[in-house]
Amino acid sequence: MMSKLILIVIFLPLLSALLMHLLAGQLGRCVARISVAATLLSALLSGVLLWASLSGDLVEQSISISPWTILYFDSLSILMALVISLISLIVHIYSLRYMAEESGYARFFVLLDLMTASLLLMVAAGDLITLIIAWHFVGVLLYFLLGQDTRNPSAYRYAFWTLITYRIGDLPLVLAAVLLFQAYGTWSLPIIFEQLSQAPTAHSVFGLPLPEVVGMLIALAAFARSAQFLLHTWLPYTMDGPTPVSALMHAGIVNAGGFLINRFAPIFANTSDVLQWVFIVGFVSAVIGSVLMLVQNDIKKSLGYSTMGQMGFMIMECGIGAFSLAIYHLIAHGVFKGTLFLSAGSVINSARKDDGVPKDELYTFVVERRPVITRKPWVLMAAITLAVPLAILIVSHWFVSEDYFQKQGAIVLLFFGWITGAQLIFATYRTHAQNLWRLVMISILSFTIVIIGYTFISHAFDVFLYPDAAFREKLFVAASIEKIRFDILVAFITLTIVIGWLVAYYTERNRNGKRPRYTGRLWTMFYALISRELYLTDLYSLLTRNILSTANKLNVWLRWN
Amino acid sequence: MPDIFLLLAGLFLPLFPLSMVFNALFNRAQHVVLRCVLLIGWPHIGLAIIHSTETTVPAWLITWALATSLLYALRMLALRGVGQWNSFLATSMWAMLWLTTTDMNQEMHHLYAFGVTTPLVLLALLSAGLEKRFGAAYTDLYGGLAQSIPRFAGVLVVVILAAIATPLFPGFFIMIKFILDTSITMPVATFVLLAIWLLWSWAGVRLLQGLIVGPASKGEAADLNLFTCWSYVLVLIALMLGGLYLSGGLL
Repeated sequence: MMSKLILIVIFLPLLSALLMHLLAGQLGRCVARISVAATLLSALLSGVLLWASLSGDLVEQSISISPWTILYFDSLSILMALVISLISLIVHIYSLRYMAEESGYARFFVLLDLMTASLLLMVAAGDLITLIIAWHFVGVLLYFLLGQDTRNPSAYRYAFWTLITYRIGDLPLVLAAVLLFQAYGTWSLPIIFEQLSQAPTAHSVFGLPLPEVVGMLIALAAFARSAQFLLHTWLPYTMDGPTPVSALMHAGIVNAGGFLINRFAPIFANTSDVLQWVFIVGFVSAVIGSVLMLVQNDIKKSLGYSTMGQMGFMIMECGIGAFSLAIYHLIAHGVFKGTLFLSAGSVINSARKDDGVPKDELYTFVVERRPVITRKPWVLMAAITLAVPLAILIVSHWFVSEDYFQKQGAIVLLFFGWITGAQLIFATYRTHAQNLWRLVMISILSFTIVIIGYTFISHAFDVFLYPDAAFREKLFVAASIEKIRFDILVAFITLTIVIGWLVAYYTERNRNGKRPRYTGRLWTMFYALISRELYLTDLYSLLTRNILSTANKLNVWLRWN
Repeated sequence: MPDIFLLLAGLFLPLFPLSMVFNALFNRAQHVVLRCVLLIGWPHIGLAIIHSTETTVPAWLITWALATSLLYALRMLALRGVGQWNSFLATSMWAMLWLTTTDMNQEMHHLYAFGVTTPLVLLALLSAGLEKRFGAAYTDLYGGLAQSIPRFAGVLVVVILAAIATPLFPGFFIMIKFILDTSITMPVATFVLLAIWLLWSWAGVRLLQGLIVGPASKGEAADLNLFTCWSYVLVLIALMLGGLYLSGGLL
């Protein structure tokens, strides 16, 4: 019975797309209600399945239709199915009125339904071919959704960037699938994972262990889908598409990289170097995404870079072995980013009447640049800044697991939590508030709630998605590096950050002093670099022009035959 | 395989520069029926020649075939004429058929050729439809087909997707099969195949954007009637089913 429900969850959006196409002529715009009803039903059924899975009524299973049409239902696919159908439902309901004035209303809902079905198929794929097909379809459908307004060449131009990046990401996945098939003689993921766990080193590719090569290829596919550095340029520019599509893309589609890495967790658990590279790429993307976000003067582009930064964090979490945390992160990010996009229109509308910025301490500091009134002792504040977040993190994690601090990945997470908390209190101190203690206490309280929530929820995700403690441990081991290297790295980063804080403090203190000429020039160069988005878009455009020009020259030389 | 047969097969499963013969012929053929006949018949002649000799294809010839395929895939990027785009894609796809000449039975081999060529035949018909409506089938000349003739544009989109080996159409499964076959024995060829697949997608999207995007062109153009539209849809569904059938044997 449950397995039939599972099939219906995927089948409903497909049926809806077909009905929409056939009935659009007779029912007019009312036809969209079919689509909403189907998505609602899909979401409800996904909820029932998740409930059954949590209560133990639904065990891990796969439905085999042909050697390469296998649907695989485990905790990950059921959880993701619920997330996808819920986000899709919200986008559907929002679009009912938002798209009412647009041409191609029925086509939009057909594409939305097909996208939902593809995403559901992707998370439920139990074999490599079905996964590739769904993965490929998501890219193609997103291209047409972003180009919903067929009169707008600009929308299509940037939709093309998305498609071509996604196609670049498809290819490593195809290669990984083919290598796995050559090694294990099957497309079925559960069988491959089973055989791999029995003999992880049984196969190699050109002298390299198979899991290393396949892991790297899977990671590459995930990087393209999740806009990681060097494959990110499409994300901030795809804002010409309809707002519901932006919401769906930022809340759901772009997170697929995190899902893919989780799906292939048994492969990554048997690697030794791949996760470290995943961490580095995620880290670079998080830093660059956040820096580029800060210099944007276009709010939508800024949101795009914010997503890139968040995706960097998500990939980074995978890189430290905290796979389930990445899933929690993608869900949390999906919810808040979806809300931001869907409310963007009403925010702009109300901002036209009133900017709504409260004239509080933060406002006077940031906008009006009011001078200091009273200052607390700096050393005391520094001590609070460094000690309080660390104490909160240690206590909350100690409650979850006593051996938590034995894992390098956990320490990295702790480290980032500490940096974030310290940065929050440091920034609060810098606001020059009249009632500083009140603000600091509020910051600490918020931070505590966030950390406790994050710790406990991520632990719950860990237990739900990867119930086998030994497997979780294996992932952390795969992500760890030599102890001495790890300690040096943590010490170096800590030192860099503390020095950064000190520099920020002294710069703030000597604000009125003249800046030396060389720092001014360096600052201008840095600003030019990041305001031009590291010249990457220019570089890619140049590359594209050169390829097209070469193709054209070849055609002329060969007389177009 | 005697050299003369090899040369002859290289004309029909086009190897550069022999491939220029097919492209010249296709571009000179003004009538749509002639173009369709060329598309349907050309690769099968080559396959028949190869299978009649029963000799192993040398490795250097496979390299040559892949280079031809890559060359035409790259050159497709700069094309604006739909007909020429079609013939270049045919050249790029048929050249790949050399990859499987050694280990495949003749029927399956012909099925491969049929699978990759059928979307191109549909595209030739649509190209003729554009010429009839607008006087020429060029990108960026009139554009806005999605606005002016939406049914035609919809069919065109799916046909181009089928032509560039999008999943469920035969081209997709054939590409997977080629990649599967070369991944262990000829890894460099695998990377070339992936690059070619990427170039097809790029060229396909450029073609689409030049035709369907933009404001509706001035002047009336008749859209596809329902019967013709459903005929295309049925052929495309049959192609998908064919793709799934092929996958049964391939994978």
